[in-house]
Amino acid sequence: MADDLHGAYKRRFARDLEPERYEIVALLDDLTPDRRAFLRGLGGGLLLLVTVRAQDRELPVRIQVADDGSYRGFTGKVEMGQGARTLLTQAFAEELGVAIERVTLVMGDTELCPDDGGTWSSLTTPQTVPVIRAAAAAVRASRTGGAATVTPPARWRTLGRSVPQRDGVAIVTGSRTYPSDVKVPGMLEAVIVRSPYHRARLVSVETAAAEAMAGVRVVREGDLVAVLARDRVTARQAAARVAAVWQPEPLTPQDAWPAHFKATAQAAVAQPEARYPPLLRQGDVDAALAAASRTLSATYGLDPVAHVPLEPRAAVASWAEGRVTIRSGPQAPFLVRQEVARALDVPLTNVRVIAVDSGGAYGGKQRGECEVEAARLARLAGAPVRVAWSREEEFTVSYTRPAGLVEVTSGVDAEGRLTALRFINYNSGAAGLTPQYPIPHHHVAFHRAAAVVRQGSYRSLAAVANNFALESHMDEWAVLLGIDPIAFRLRHVRDQRLREVIERTASRFGWNQSPLRPGYGRGFSCNLEKGARLALCVEVETDGAEMRVLRMAATGDFGAALNPDALQNQMAGALVQGLGGALWEAVAFDEARQLTRRFGDYRVPRFGDVPALDVEIVDRRDVESVGAGESPITLPAPALAAALAAATGRRRRRLPLLELLTPPRAPQTPGW
Amino acid sequence: MPRLTLTVNGRLWTGDVADDATLLDTLRDELQLTGTKYGCGEGQCGSCTVLVDARPVRACVTPAAAVAGPVVTIEGVAREGRLHPVQQAFVDEQAFQCGFCTPGMILGAIHLLAERRQPTDVEIRQALESHVCRCGTYPRIVAAVRRAAATLAREDHRG
Repeated sequence: MADDLHGAYKRRFARDLEPERYEIVALLDDLTPDRRAFLRGLGGGLLLLVTVRAQDRELPVRIQVADDGSYRGFTGKVEMGQGARTLLTQAFAEELGVAIERVTLVMGDTELCPDDGGTWSSLTTPQTVPVIRAAAAAVRASRTGGAATVTPPARWRTLGRSVPQRDGVAIVTGSRTYPSDVKVPGMLEAVIVRSPYHRARLVSVETAAAEAMAGVRVVREGDLVAVLARDRVTARQAAARVAAVWQPEPLTPQDAWPAHFKATAQAAVAQPEARYPPLLRQGDVDAALAAASRTLSATYGLDPVAHVPLEPRAAVASWAEGRVTIRSGPQAPFLVRQEVARALDVPLTNVRVIAVDSGGAYGGKQRGECEVEAARLARLAGAPVRVAWSREEEFTVSYTRPAGLVEVTSGVDAEGRLTALRFINYNSGAAGLTPQYPIPHHHVAFHRAAAVVRQGSYRSLAAVANNFALESHMDEWAVLLGIDPIAFRLRHVRDQRLREVIERTASRFGWNQSPLRPGYGRGFSCNLEKGARLALCVEVETDGAEMRVLRMAATGDFGAALNPDALQNQMAGALVQGLGGALWEAVAFDEARQLTRRFGDYRVPRFGDVPALDVEIVDRRDVESVGAGESPITLPAPALAAALAAATGRRRRRLPLLELLTPPRAPQTPGW
Repeated sequence: MPRLTLTVNGRLWTGDVADDATLLDTLRDELQLTGTKYGCGEGQCGSCTVLVDARPVRACVTPAAAVAGPVVTIEGVAREGRLHPVQQAFVDEQAFQCGFCTPGMILGAIHLLAERRQPTDVEIRQALESHVCRCGTYPRIVAAVRRAAATLAREDHRG
């Protein structure tokens, strides 16, 4: 039963989240080099090092008490627009028992902050907040002599409130320093000579014309060639004078990717302890399909998409005495530190990464390509170097959300209840595989395939692909059986919180309360993802060529709302971003090059695309909190596909949906 | 390298600027005014929006040498330590997430409100259509501009 799947999920979640004990460690003994460096960087005051045992390991939390009674909290998490700075400051302030103004947060500095994991998978809320709260409560207890227990929701003063973003004034005055604003004395600007191909080997390079320019240097290490100058304009001019010859590596044509994924796929192996188990099995799917009253098979697909953070990546690297310090906007500073140490062949302790609050990431800044480039070039130059990617570099040097193919076959019994589900995702990933409905016989799997192009993390990972396939399939069943799509969902939902979220959404939206005019369509989707209960209703208008989204109503239950306004902001933003991925976004490649290279090549949602948007957050103070940054992005694609099918009678099973409304540029390969 | 004189946020600046330096290069690298952001380099995202002669300009595609009128950047919007009503409205509505589009968005909104004191929501969306917020905070931005319009109307009334 999927109830068992959810049960297993919940148990794992509960185990992962339970802080088992906390203790204050005397800092003066056992000063490891790491801790000594930490102390040097701190200045005065009393430092409290608390260890919280959670997620089966010891998690350090560092809190500094200044002489004036203010606090500094340290976390390896970073801020990129998702609100972690404010949320974690709230968590510290709540349990330290002080006003939020007395707490500042140092985030993502590998020398000062504990390694509490990268900033991904919406883990800050369910994992980092409880650890910080436990540690801060222990610190408060040690200072006041009270009990080292966290404050219950009924007595919250800072958590549970819509605390505004901590640096809002810096944002609106332009005084906030982003990674691309960082400068250090003596810094050189680098422009890297890039190949026009997705992957290529440098055959030859002619740099004399560039080097003849005043104040210009060209450095090279293997295939990394860069022009360095005091200012960016000169570096850009000089880079244009470099002539490089590249040998491209051929790419499988994009039309042939689905066949390629299937041909290279490896069957899933059960890994029940994995964060995203790639194989979920129960009962006998073949027998259940054979016994089903009706069966339905469909194949869903999606193109690769780009993150397009508004701020392209930038890193400034400075070397001193064999140690390198890098200021940039990484999502995982500690992993980037490892990457840099490995690439530059220096000990980990000789690399310091300082995260600067960044201009968006959405999963796109998890790897350290830009930081490694800056570190290599700074070492070659013998001077600090800044590498700031252009928009074209951000599009073409980074990675995309994986393309994918999902094959679904299912069966219903005579009462129109799903009894069997076979669901295979090729290439896009295992996240969000667990169906939100209990289906007695199921085989749900992710088959890893050989990637064609660079691919990687993205907001909610493959949960977009998996929910698009599952919820589209549910809608197809509802149409086939002649049942209202929401009624069909409710027939299968066992989770009471999900049921309530669905009912609230349908009620606020006015689902089926008014007849639809020709050319209009409504669609629905829901999900139970990363512990969040989510539902969305949409209404669209189309003339068969263009489509307008008229309105959206959505509800999210993320457990106790630690910052209700920030949750609303994240959920609304994820829905808007999901709308782009559903309707237009796709990265195109030919047989050697990425064709989508510039902002004008890639349509992201703008003001005119955003419908009337009604987003409600259900606050359940009695339930553990989960994150909201990612999971709502899984809702728009299937709801919009359903609405489009309702409006036009034509079902689209491939993202982006609107590509097929206009004549396709290339022949479509069967299989998508 | 031509010598250029600019008036930025009410102050004169004179310096040598390469022929192909953009206004964005000059603001960020010569004047150290980094509140104006590079987002796309092709005038498509609005992050680099500044006002020249009180009109919105994409600094990333504007040659610095072509700028004749006074320039206002996000750093020149607040007055005597008080936020401009549009800035205050963005804070009040929490109309940002990563905040990278916010400076350009605010300058676009200031221009709109100078042209139309009480714009409709449709007019707000149309006026800011060339600005991208990749975090998707558009409904909050519309609400912030509406709030700022109301504040300015009260100030007019008092004024």
